[in-house]
Amino acid sequence: MSASQASGCFHCGLPITQPTTVRAQVGGGERLFCCQGCAAVCRAIYDAGLEGFYQRTPDGDIFGPPPELPRQLEFYDLDEVQQEFGDISSDEREMQLAVEGIHCAACVWLIENGLAAMPGVSEARVNLTGRRLRLRWDNSRLRLSRILRRLGELGYAAVPFDPGAAELGLQRRNRALLYRLAFAGFAAMNLMWISIALYAGADQGEFRSLFHWVGWLLATPTLLYAGGPFFVGAWRGLRHWHLDMDLPIAIGAAITYCYSLVVTLSGRGDVYWDTLVNFLFVILLGRYLEAMSRRQAVSATQRLLDLQPRAATVLRDGEEALVPIRALRPGDLLLIRPGERVPADGLVEQGTSALDESLLTGEAEPLARGPGQPVVAGSLNGAGALRVRVTAVLRQTQLGRILQLVEEAQASKAPIQSLADQVVPWFVGATLALALLTSLIWWQADPATAVLAATSVLIITCPCAFGLATPMAMAVATGSAARHGILIKQGGALERLSNVTQVVFDKTGTLTLGRPSLVALIDARGLWRANEPGTRLDATRQHWLARVAALEQLSEHPLARALTAFAREHGLADMTLEVTDVRLEPGRGIVGRVDGQTLALGSAAWLESLGMALDKRLASPTDWPGVTLLHLGLDGREVARLLLRDDLREDARTAVDALIAAGLQVSLLSGDRQATASEMAKRLGGITAIAEVLPEGKAAEISRLRASGQRVAMVGDGVNDAPALVSADVGIALGSGTDVSMASADIVLTGNELARVPQALALAQRTLVTIRQNIGLSIAYNLVMVPLAMAALITPLVAAIAMPLSSLAVVGNSARIGGLLKKAR
Amino acid sequence: MEVIYGLIPGMLLLGLAAVGVLFWAARSGQFDDLEGDGQRILMDDDIKPDDPRRFPGADVED
Repeated sequence: MSASQASGCFHCGLPITQPTTVRAQVGGGERLFCCQGCAAVCRAIYDAGLEGFYQRTPDGDIFGPPPELPRQLEFYDLDEVQQEFGDISSDEREMQLAVEGIHCAACVWLIENGLAAMPGVSEARVNLTGRRLRLRWDNSRLRLSRILRRLGELGYAAVPFDPGAAELGLQRRNRALLYRLAFAGFAAMNLMWISIALYAGADQGEFRSLFHWVGWLLATPTLLYAGGPFFVGAWRGLRHWHLDMDLPIAIGAAITYCYSLVVTLSGRGDVYWDTLVNFLFVILLGRYLEAMSRRQAVSATQRLLDLQPRAATVLRDGEEALVPIRALRPGDLLLIRPGERVPADGLVEQGTSALDESLLTGEAEPLARGPGQPVVAGSLNGAGALRVRVTAVLRQTQLGRILQLVEEAQASKAPIQSLADQVVPWFVGATLALALLTSLIWWQADPATAVLAATSVLIITCPCAFGLATPMAMAVATGSAARHGILIKQGGALERLSNVTQVVFDKTGTLTLGRPSLVALIDARGLWRANEPGTRLDATRQHWLARVAALEQLSEHPLARALTAFAREHGLADMTLEVTDVRLEPGRGIVGRVDGQTLALGSAAWLESLGMALDKRLASPTDWPGVTLLHLGLDGREVARLLLRDDLREDARTAVDALIAAGLQVSLLSGDRQATASEMAKRLGGITAIAEVLPEGKAAEISRLRASGQRVAMVGDGVNDAPALVSADVGIALGSGTDVSMASADIVLTGNELARVPQALALAQRTLVTIRQNIGLSIAYNLVMVPLAMAALITPLVAAIAMPLSSLAVVGNSARIGGLLKKAR
Repeated sequence: MEVIYGLIPGMLLLGLAAVGVLFWAARSGQFDDLEGDGQRILMDDDIKPDDPRRFPGADVED
């Protein structure tokens, strides 16, 4: 991703496909771009003197083209809207922005420098972990929409967001944990040298009592402050008759504390203040690490939700008013302009338009909506203005319910985790019983030994090692995966992924770039190639292509976009053509009347079903491997065939090879004709091709594979594969930005890199192995140490050293999972 | 060895001061973005605020 890499787009590094290449004079030289968006962003960066950005981006890294800027940024200039996000009492304002498109540290540099150069911006600071921007600016000198537009020029989409109560609460909890950890660490460090002094001989000397009291001074606040949550947790568990991990920790800590206090007061015996404090420190450390990893996994999905529309235009007594979504009520009348996202569920009262609901349903084709028909929040309005009566807002909308499902999935636990959770109460109960038994047995012989041995048992049985075994491994795995562009939404997905036997890839947009282009046209007079220099389109072909473009303008299908783009580039786009009676059938084709002629474009079977005769004389494109063939029918008969090619993703072959090497079956699922799919499968190393599957049949195909005993992972681009992703054992979606249809996948590859698929698989297998190791480790440890402790062969000191070691062994073993992806990079 | 009576409170105070600094650092959000701050320190370019030459077309609205 730098000037040195000639093969890809100068700005984003994506491979360039021939027909879409953009050449632009930027920074004193001609550079190649994959799209106009990248070229514009690059020009803006050079204009602002920020070309240092390109030296700072990591070499070879690829990030997608700039995201689309949210429309109608003027929304955010209104005080009514702004007050939702921050304090607006003065002109000096501060706000948090959710930013889409931040990729690496170079983006941080670009945004901070690009904004700091704007007169009126007093602070712009990016949080790379959360992909957020804290912005302070002078509202009297600069308007927010201007800043957002500037961010758009630099290649980032940003909207203000309101850190919800849940997120603030999470942050506060994490910070409180950090404070407690810091305090316990301080006490542990200081107690350590006191202990050394005591063991080195001070135990016999004049300072013995002083050191004991210093230990007390340090241990008491540590127990109360740092250990507080464990007591609260233990008490809560007791009240609900549920033995959890906090209980033995609390009892062990309390007994150690009381025993040491008695020793300090009476002056006989050994104190265990250091044991107590180290014990608390290690457990807190484990919990903090777990919280950190979890936060990272959650914040990535949270970003998607932040980019939802925040304001709506309401019609009241014929007057337009802009209101925040929160102020909307069922029964309000909304005005939804072309190109806007629908802010709430409702029924159309007036107007017709085509709505893109892919955000929810995964279906890319826009749906026509007119009076009396429902619209759903989050869908994108097409060309018409609509008046909509609100029926549901916020969490009651379909979108809201989907988001809730995502949140629930994140809170859900893997089966292996719930197994561990079920075992813990028994484990705790056994620990308490053993400790009681030990003290009873020894009480006859010597009460002091009884207390010590029972304490040793409580401390040494390390439920924390056991309890940490699964969540620690999961947390490290999900956290390290999230950092490398693999978003695991559900712990259970890792478990299922670890024993997958077959990986099914969707073809268009997943194995291929999803940006097809017209390469050739066949008609009665022969073949016309798009990329051959000197060939010109004659009038007839121009006539056809202009009409095709006019018709396909109404479709969002990648093939349709390729055809309209082609027409625009060749100056064939004709806005005056009248298009009526359009019918779209996903996976088959499109038919409509253009300028009085009936035009159909789609598969051979689709044309025949419309009663159009196929032209047998047209050459079949046997010498065109891997292309998609569209038949063009005009007024009842086929006149031409269009050949479109979609290039393979650069890393498709390596990803497939890695999966085959890992002993998995790999197949390709496509709606395309068999010849095209087979050709592509051959180029990918001879994988199985399942072709000519209609969108609605993909899920059934996956179910069929599963019924035959395969455990299937489906990889799709998250737009039209939603049902298939759900029916697979594990659904893996390529993250295409703000698409919430990713809700249907268990794993989202945020960087759109296929190479992450085998990595995710390796990670899952490694995680499950680690979990088993961890559980084995903690069980083995307990089997050895508990009998020794019960026999009073282990003093609480040894117990205190051994216990954190067992936890640390589990934590350390889990941490090794993180190295897997680092090596893979 | 009387010095120990002075050293102990001294060491505790020093330790508490360190804890205080850490609390302050956490409160001011320095642990919120470890990834970004780790990278930021490597970017040696100075930010020049309010320099219109760096931002052509900056139309100040008032």
